[in-house]
Amino acid sequence: MGERLMDELFVGKSFARMDKDKVIGRANFINDITLPRMLHAKILYSARPHARIKSIDTSKAEKLMGVRAVLTGFNVPEVKVGFLGDQTPLKKDKVRQFRDEVAAVAAIDEDTAEEALDLIKVEYEDLPAVYDPIEAMKPDAPLVHEFDARGKPRRNNLLPLPWKLEAGDVRKARESSKYVVKDRFSTQWVHQTCMGTSGGIAEFDVNGNLIFRSVTNVPFGGKDRLDMFLKNLGLKGRSRVLTPYVGGSFGSKLDTDIYEFILVLLAWKTGCPVKIVFSRKEEFLASPPRQPVIATVEQGCDSNGRLTFRNIDMILDNGAYTSWGATTPSVMMIPVSSLYRVPNVKFQATCVYTNNIYAQAMRGYGNPQATFVIEQSMDQLAEASGIDAIEFRKINANVPYEKTPMDLKITTCPMSECLEIVEKRLNWSEKRNQKTSRGVGVASFLHVGGGARVYLSDAQGIIMKVDDEGKVTVITGGTDQGQGSETIIKQMVAEATGFRPEDVSIFQGDTEVCPWDVGTHASRHAFITGHAVLLAGADVKRKVLDLAARWMPEMIRFDLSKRARKDPNFQVPLLDFSPLMDTNNLELRNAEVFLKDDPENKHFRLPVAKILRRAHLVGTGKGEMVVAEAFYDPPNEMLNREGKGNLSCCYTFGAHGVEVEVDEETGLVTILNYVAAHDVGRAINPMLVKGQIYGATVMGCGYALTEEIQTNHGRVMNPNLLDYKILTAKDKIPIDPVIVEPIEPSGPFGAKGIGEPACVPSAPAIVNAIYDAVGVRIKDLPVTPEKLLKAIKEKKAKEQ
Amino acid sequence: MRTFDYFKPVCVEEALFLLNKFADKSKLVAGGTDVMVQWKKRIISPVALISLRNIPELNFIRMNDCLEIGSATTHRSLELSADIKSKFPAIYDAVSNIGSVQVRNSATIGGNLCNAAPSADSAPPMLVLDTGVNIVSSDGQRSIPIDQFFKGPGKTVVQPNEVVKSFSIATPPENTGMAYWKHTRRSAMDLPILGVAVLLSFDEDIKTCVKARIGLSVVAPTPIRARKAEEFLLGNVVNEASLDEAGKIAASECSPRTTIRGSDWYRREMARVLVKRVGLISTERASHFSKLES
Amino acid sequence: MKRSISFSVNGDTVQVEVHPHWNLLRVLREELELTGAKQGCGEGECGACTVLVNGLPINSCIYPIMEVEGKDVLTIEGLASRDGALHPVQEAFLEKAGVQCGFCTPGMIMSAKALLDANPDPDEEEIRQALAGNMCRCTGYIQIIESVKHAAALLSSIEQEA
Repeated sequence: MGERLMDELFVGKSFARMDKDKVIGRANFINDITLPRMLHAKILYSARPHARIKSIDTSKAEKLMGVRAVLTGFNVPEVKVGFLGDQTPLKKDKVRQFRDEVAAVAAIDEDTAEEALDLIKVEYEDLPAVYDPIEAMKPDAPLVHEFDARGKPRRNNLLPLPWKLEAGDVRKARESSKYVVKDRFSTQWVHQTCMGTSGGIAEFDVNGNLIFRSVTNVPFGGKDRLDMFLKNLGLKGRSRVLTPYVGGSFGSKLDTDIYEFILVLLAWKTGCPVKIVFSRKEEFLASPPRQPVIATVEQGCDSNGRLTFRNIDMILDNGAYTSWGATTPSVMMIPVSSLYRVPNVKFQATCVYTNNIYAQAMRGYGNPQATFVIEQSMDQLAEASGIDAIEFRKINANVPYEKTPMDLKITTCPMSECLEIVEKRLNWSEKRNQKTSRGVGVASFLHVGGGARVYLSDAQGIIMKVDDEGKVTVITGGTDQGQGSETIIKQMVAEATGFRPEDVSIFQGDTEVCPWDVGTHASRHAFITGHAVLLAGADVKRKVLDLAARWMPEMIRFDLSKRARKDPNFQVPLLDFSPLMDTNNLELRNAEVFLKDDPENKHFRLPVAKILRRAHLVGTGKGEMVVAEAFYDPPNEMLNREGKGNLSCCYTFGAHGVEVEVDEETGLVTILNYVAAHDVGRAINPMLVKGQIYGATVMGCGYALTEEIQTNHGRVMNPNLLDYKILTAKDKIPIDPVIVEPIEPSGPFGAKGIGEPACVPSAPAIVNAIYDAVGVRIKDLPVTPEKLLKAIKEKKAKEQ
Repeated sequence: MRTFDYFKPVCVEEALFLLNKFADKSKLVAGGTDVMVQWKKRIISPVALISLRNIPELNFIRMNDCLEIGSATTHRSLELSADIKSKFPAIYDAVSNIGSVQVRNSATIGGNLCNAAPSADSAPPMLVLDTGVNIVSSDGQRSIPIDQFFKGPGKTVVQPNEVVKSFSIATPPENTGMAYWKHTRRSAMDLPILGVAVLLSFDEDIKTCVKARIGLSVVAPTPIRARKAEEFLLGNVVNEASLDEAGKIAASECSPRTTIRGSDWYRREMARVLVKRVGLISTERASHFSKLES
Repeated sequence: MKRSISFSVNGDTVQVEVHPHWNLLRVLREELELTGAKQGCGEGECGACTVLVNGLPINSCIYPIMEVEGKDVLTIEGLASRDGALHPVQEAFLEKAGVQCGFCTPGMIMSAKALLDANPDPDEEEIRQALAGNMCRCTGYIQIIESVKHAAALLSSIEQEA
C-alpha cells in the first residue's frame, strides 16, 4: 500500500484548491447561518478571579422586552462537564476565574441579550486567589477546588494526572557523562486566534432530539459529550452534530466548550434555536488557549557528543478547570524521550490549578513547549562540549527503523538529511559564530505522522458511492478546518478509483449521515482518510469493473446494432467480447472502463455513467448499485501505564534553520532567512503541504517573538487583535520550505501527517539564532524587545 | 435601544449649527474609525453624531506658500499625495503606517489629532512642523499652535462648540530634513511603543543646525516636544555624537508610563536611541534635498 | 428611529431601513443577506469585513451605514460575473492556495482587487503593505502574496488579449 505508484495521475501534484465557495463568499460559517425563530445568546462572565457567589438577581433582565430566558446555576440542573468533570456550565457556588460563566440570556436579538446582561446583578464575596502555578503548589495556597468531581475533599491544587516517563538509568548516566547542562525555561499563554470566532446553534426538533451546529473538529466526540449532557439533564433525546465551515481551529475546537452546553440549556428552556457567536474580546477571554510551562532540563553527553541522558521536570499552569491542555504531556513525552537518540530519560509533568483562564490544546499539542526547552538545552550542551550545533544534532540524530526509549517505533526518518538541508541553504558554516548582531540557529522536531491513539480508536469511516452520472460521492466523518482536505481527498479518490477529481464530491459535517471518525486532530486527517480512501476506493473500483464485466458486452452489442440500423453503410465489426467478461482484464480511468491490454480499442470503452445507468435501470430483474465503505484504524498503540507505547505508526521529522539580525539598541529581531525542511513521507499535494508549512511556521514565529496573553491578577489585559499580536502580511518571514519525501511504507501513497509540526521548532530555532547573534539566551517566551535589550545590556555590563 | 442620530452637514456652518443645537450631547465624527469603536465599547454614547465627511471645505490638501490640510482629509489621501511625500516626508512616514489601507481610507488627520491619544501617529510630525490649528465656531475663527493643542489623554483645547477646520504648515526653509519613526513590535496594525519625529534645518554647509524640532509620542500624557534637546542642537554641528547627546537629553524630558505595550524604562531608552536615529535620517534627507536643489 | 437610505450594492440599487448606529457590515449581512464579508473583530483590526466603497477598501464593521447613502458598494458576491465566471483574483486565490479556512478570504480578495485596480503590477512589498490590514491565521500570507502576483499576471494577459 505504501509503495509509490509509478503512474500516479493525481497524487503528488499541486492541484488548485477546490473549495470555490470560499472565494465567492458562499462558504457558510456558523456566523452566516440563520434559522427561523432563532434566538441569540449572551453569557455573563465573572467579574472576580476567585469569589463566592452570594446572590444573582436576574429579575430586571427577565422583565426586559424580548428576553426569552435568563439562566443561572440556580435555575438549571447541576450537571458536571469537562475532562475531569470539574465544572458546571453555569457556576453556582463560586467563580474561579474571570471567564467563569455566571449567567446566560437568550433574546430575540443580540442587542437585547446584551442589554439584559447589564441588568443582571451578581453579589460576590472575594476569596484569596492564586495565579502562579508554583505559588499554587505551596501547602498554604488557596484551594481553587475544595472538592473533586465526586465530592471528595481536595488537599492541594495538583491535578490527579501524574505524568511520568522513565527509561534507563538517568542517575548513572549523569555520573558517567563528560558534559552536563542544566537550566530552566518557561513559555507563555498563547491563543489559537482563529479568524472565525467560536460559535454554535442549538435546537431541539419535535421529537426532543438535539441538533447542534458546531465548530468542532471532533463531531463524534462532541456528539458523545452532548448525549451525555442530555442524559444527565434527564432528557430522552439524542444529539446530531452538524459542522459548517470553520474559520480555523488549531486545537481550539477539540473539546466541547462551556458555551455549547449553555446553548443546549437555552434551547431546551426556550424551545427555539439559540445561536451564539463570540465577539473577538470574548474569544480571547473565554476560549481556552495553550498553557505555559515552567521546565527544568538537564542533559548530558559523552566526550564524543553522544547524548547520555535527559531529565525534564515540567510544571503546567492548568488554569481553573481541566480541558485537553492537561493531557498535552502525553505528546510532550514524544520529543522528551525521542527527539534525538537519548538512551536514558526521565520526565515528570505536574498540572496545577490556578485562578487563571484554563488551558486547551493548540497546534502541536505540547510539542512546541517541550521542543522549545529541549532544543535550547541541546545548543547549550553542544557549546559545552565544543561541538558545532548542527554537527552535535547530526551525531545524535534519529535514524530509520529504531525503537526509542518510549517504545516509539521509528520507520522512515530523514532527520540528518533535513539538518544538512538547513546547513547548506542557510550557509551555516559561514554565518555561524560571527557575533555581528547576525546569527543562525537551528532546531529539529519529531511529531506523530500517522495519527495518534489517544482514544481506544484512532479510526475513520468513509462511504463512497457512484451514481449513474458517473460521479463519486465521498461521505466522511472528518472535518475541514482549511487545510485543504476537500482538494486532497478528491485527488486521492481519483487516484484510488480511476475517476477524475472533478467527478468527486465530498459530503461531511453531519453525524447523522457520516460514518464515525475520531476527529480531525493530531495531524491525522490526510493520513487516516487516505487509508480509508484506498480501502473504499479499491472496493468501488472492483464493483464498477464487476458491473462493467457483466453489462459491457451487451451494451456494446446493442449500440453497434443500433448504429447499423440508423446507418445502412455501417458494417458491424466482428468483435471478440470474451476478454470484456473478466473483471481482471478491465481498467477504470477518467471515469471510463476499457480493456487493460488494449486501451486503444475504441469499441471496448464505456463511461461509468452509462454502465451504472444500465445496472440501475434493469427493467425486470435485479439491479445493482455501487457503494463501498471502509473503516480504517491504524496500527497505533495506546500508551501503557509507564507512558510507553508506539502512539503512531510513523513519525515525521524535520529541522528549521533561521538567520536573524538583532538590533542591539532596540532589541528588535528581524528574520532574514528561514529554511524549513520537512519530512512529509510523500506530498499528496505539494502546494498544500507548503501551505501547512508556511502557516504553521509563521504561527511559530509569533510564538517566539510577538504573541502572549498578558494577564494581571488573572485578568486578560490584551483581548484584542491590536495587543495580541499575531503577525501581519507586512511582517515578512522569508520561508524556504523544503519537502523531503522518503515515502513512508505505512502511509497512504507514502504520506505522513503534516498539519501541526511546522509550528514546533520555530521558537527554539529563533532563540538559538539570537544567541548566536548577540550571545544572550532568552529562556522565557516570547522574546520581546524589552527582554532582549535588557539581557544585552546586562551582558555588556558584565563584560565591562 | 442604545442608538444615536446621524447628521451629515455639507458645510461648516451647518455643522456648527448642529453642534450648537446638540451641544454636549453630540460628538463630531470624521472617518469613524475611533468614534464607532468607542461607541461599540460604550465609552461614548452621544445622542447625535455629526459627520464631517461630506464637507468639501474640510477635505483638501493645498500647497501654495504654505501647506494647508483640511481636517477631514483622510490619511490615505495624504499618503498618496506626491507633494506630501516629497516635501513633507515626516507626514508621509506617519500617515502611511497608521492602521491599514482600509483604516486610512476612512480615518482623517483631524480625527487622529482631535482624538488626542498619547500615541497619535500624526502628532509628532505636526509638532515638528510648527503646525497651526485653525479652529472655527459660530463666534469666529482662531488659530493656535499645535504645541498648545493637546491638553491630556483624549483632551484638546477644542471647545464643544468648535470644529477644527484645517492645519497650516509653513514651507520649511531650504536645507531641511525631516522624518518620523514609529517604533512597534509588529510591522503593521500596531500602535507605537514610541513615536519620534525630527526636523532639522541646516546652514548651507548642511552641518550647522539652524532649527531643530523633536516631537515624541507615548512618552507623556500628550505628544510632546523635546525642547531641551532641540535647544542643544540649535547652533550645534549635527553629527552622530551631538544627536546621541540630543537623544539623551530628549530621554530625560520624557515621563513615560509602564503599560502592557511597554515599560517606562524601555520607552525612555527608545527615546534616546530613536531621536538619534531619526535625527540621522533627517540629516541625510536634508543633504539629499540640498543636492537635488543645487 | 429608522431611516431609509439608498445605495448601490454589486450594481443593484437597494433601499434599506436602518438604525443610524448600524454599520455597513451589519446591513450587508443581516438586512441584505450578503454574508460573504465576515465579522472577525468588529473594531477595524482584522479586515475580514473589507468591502469596496466607491472603489476603495474600507472596514465595513466600523463604517457608519448613514455614510453609504448614494455610494457604490462592491462585496465579494459581486466580484464574479453574473454567469458565474470567477474574477481573475478569485481564480488566482484557488490556483495558488491563497485560501485555507476561508474566513479572511472575502476581505483579502477585496483588498487585493483594490490594490490591482490601482497598481496592476505590484511588487511583493506593495502587496504586503496593501494586505497588512487583512489578518490571516492559516496561510502565513506567502501563498496569498503568490495569489495576488498570479492575479496580476492573469489580469495583464486578459488585457493583452483584449
